[in-house]
Amino acid sequence: MKFLITFAFKNLTRYKRRTLITAGAIAVGIMMYIFIDAMLMGAEYESVRNLKWYETASARILNDEYWENRQQLPLDLSISDPDKIIDRLDENGIIATKRISIGGDLILSSQEFGEDGNLPVTVTAIDPSTDNEVFHYADTLIEGRFLEQDEDAALIGSWFAEDIGAKIGSWVTVLARGNGGFYEAIDLEIVGILNCPNPNVNRTLLMIPFDTADYYLAMDGAATEINIKLSDLADVDAELPAIQELLNGDDLTVMSWTAMARDYLALAEAKRGGTGMILFLIFIIAAVGISNTMLMAIFERVRELGMMRSLGMSDAKIRIAFMLEAAGIGLLGSIMGVILGIVADFFIINVGIDFSFIMRDMDIGYRIQGIFRGAWNPGTIVIAFFAGILISTLVAYLPTNRALKMDIPSCLRHQ
Amino acid sequence: MKIKRRPLMIMIVMLCIATTLSAMTAEQIMREADERQTYDSSRSSGQFKIKDRFGTKVSTFDAWSKGADESLIEFTSVAERGQKVLRTEDSIYLYYPDAEELIRMQGSALRQGMLGSDISYEDMTGGKDRLSQYDIVLEEDSELVFGRDCHVLTLTAKTRSVPYPKEIVWIDKENFIVMRAEYYTKSGRLLKEMETLSVGTLSGIEVATETRISDKMKTDTETIMILDELEVNIRIDDDLFSLDELSW
Repeated sequence: MKFLITFAFKNLTRYKRRTLITAGAIAVGIMMYIFIDAMLMGAEYESVRNLKWYETASARILNDEYWENRQQLPLDLSISDPDKIIDRLDENGIIATKRISIGGDLILSSQEFGEDGNLPVTVTAIDPSTDNEVFHYADTLIEGRFLEQDEDAALIGSWFAEDIGAKIGSWVTVLARGNGGFYEAIDLEIVGILNCPNPNVNRTLLMIPFDTADYYLAMDGAATEINIKLSDLADVDAELPAIQELLNGDDLTVMSWTAMARDYLALAEAKRGGTGMILFLIFIIAAVGISNTMLMAIFERVRELGMMRSLGMSDAKIRIAFMLEAAGIGLLGSIMGVILGIVADFFIINVGIDFSFIMRDMDIGYRIQGIFRGAWNPGTIVIAFFAGILISTLVAYLPTNRALKMDIPSCLRHQ
Repeated sequence: MKIKRRPLMIMIVMLCIATTLSAMTAEQIMREADERQTYDSSRSSGQFKIKDRFGTKVSTFDAWSKGADESLIEFTSVAERGQKVLRTEDSIYLYYPDAEELIRMQGSALRQGMLGSDISYEDMTGGKDRLSQYDIVLEEDSELVFGRDCHVLTLTAKTRSVPYPKEIVWIDKENFIVMRAEYYTKSGRLLKEMETLSVGTLSGIEVATETRISDKMKTDTETIMILDELEVNIRIDDDLFSLDELSW
């Protein structure tokens, strides 16, 4: 066996150029695999983070009947005394904030925007004193200031502001239905522009103070939701029963972010299937490249193979020698591929690729505004490393086998 | 002497009675107007002229109603032929024949303009029983609207469940037709305006035959509703207002 290993190693060093070219092909395939896996994993990780930071929080308390009627944004299916619930959560060390989700029409006047118009909007009324303990909007402020309690003011997403031509100091009117069904028009001054990393939010975000919505829409202190922040490491589903216990008797229910983002998670699951297919194809391309170069490497050495056979070396030993040689090429390629993959990962994780020119006008499901950043996935790196060696070894089997089926004179005459 | 005084007393008493009779209360005026708008059953046909900055679109319709709560509109113009809007006591349904789809209108969808007009589905659901929903005050006993002498009433909602917390209506003193109405938000912003442009007699009943509705939150838009035919107190099958019949 030692002889065969030495023999394979000598062959590798004897054909340096061929070895390097074949190992290079393997390295490129492995690098692509590691790189794309890191990018997609990062996109998914960041999407989930942006979903929790800007849409769902870790969990949400709602009126029992709210969720099934959520499309209508009903104000009457509310939490009548949210402060009492928040205090109860606070006593148990849980951070929470109240909100009101309001459906309405945004009325734009020609004096402010050059043209009259109206468009449907969802307005979120937040408690400015506690919202940033659960969500992360304050960090995304790029112009103006954050909301204060009880003012006729609004924050707007930067893409939404761009789309309608809103600036700091612009006035908009929201026509909404109050608690019970009456119409109310609220004039609001844009006091801040937020560049939210979650594109779904940044396209439509309009926020007003909780007290303002409470007054105009006759909410009598009620909120439509209480959002809860749990530790990033917490098992949210495991925490829910304890939170539900605190709500008993109030006709309220607590939902985890996974239950609220079921549509996104189903989409992510489907994407994962598609991603697996892409990675599989990359692997196939790499494997075809490897097998092609191995095929050429073996066929150009059929005469050498015939000579070894005529000198009495057994077919099994020849097959093992060639497969060890292929494994050597695979090992070299895998080492190079992993090194290149880690370098590429450093780039995608720390710098990222800016896809904002696509994401600005298109919703591809990911909650990422533009720059795709990757995430380390050691499991993939290990798998790619061993798969590179294994595939290289296996693809050498067929051409070697074919050459071994030829008789010795044919091998010796092979051109 | 007694004989001389008698005609004078009779005249004073008659004047007092006439004055009392003519001084209707705000509630009486509103009740009269509501009752005159509501028929046991009716069938009508007419058209909507929907004007916006892109031009004017005309849609024709046939409509049936029973009491104050049930009505059915079927559009007959080419672009919308077969589309139906059914109003029952507490819901509105739309039927699109091309998609063979029945949609129940809810929430903010009720504010959408019917066929893009200034008349929302919400306006269609609005009950005619304004007496129980609003506090009504007679603001002016006499004001001219399009040359007609009108009572001016201010309606302030008693509950939060009506879409317009405040309405001002001008009701013709003679025929109790609403000649003009303004609809306000809770904070007093004018949302919509309705004006009766012409009054005519159809099947022996004096009705508003041409009405203009404009959404004051939009500019350059108005909808004119023209009533061409009206038959009242006719026999209408109850099934006409059922969901089964709507999609048939």
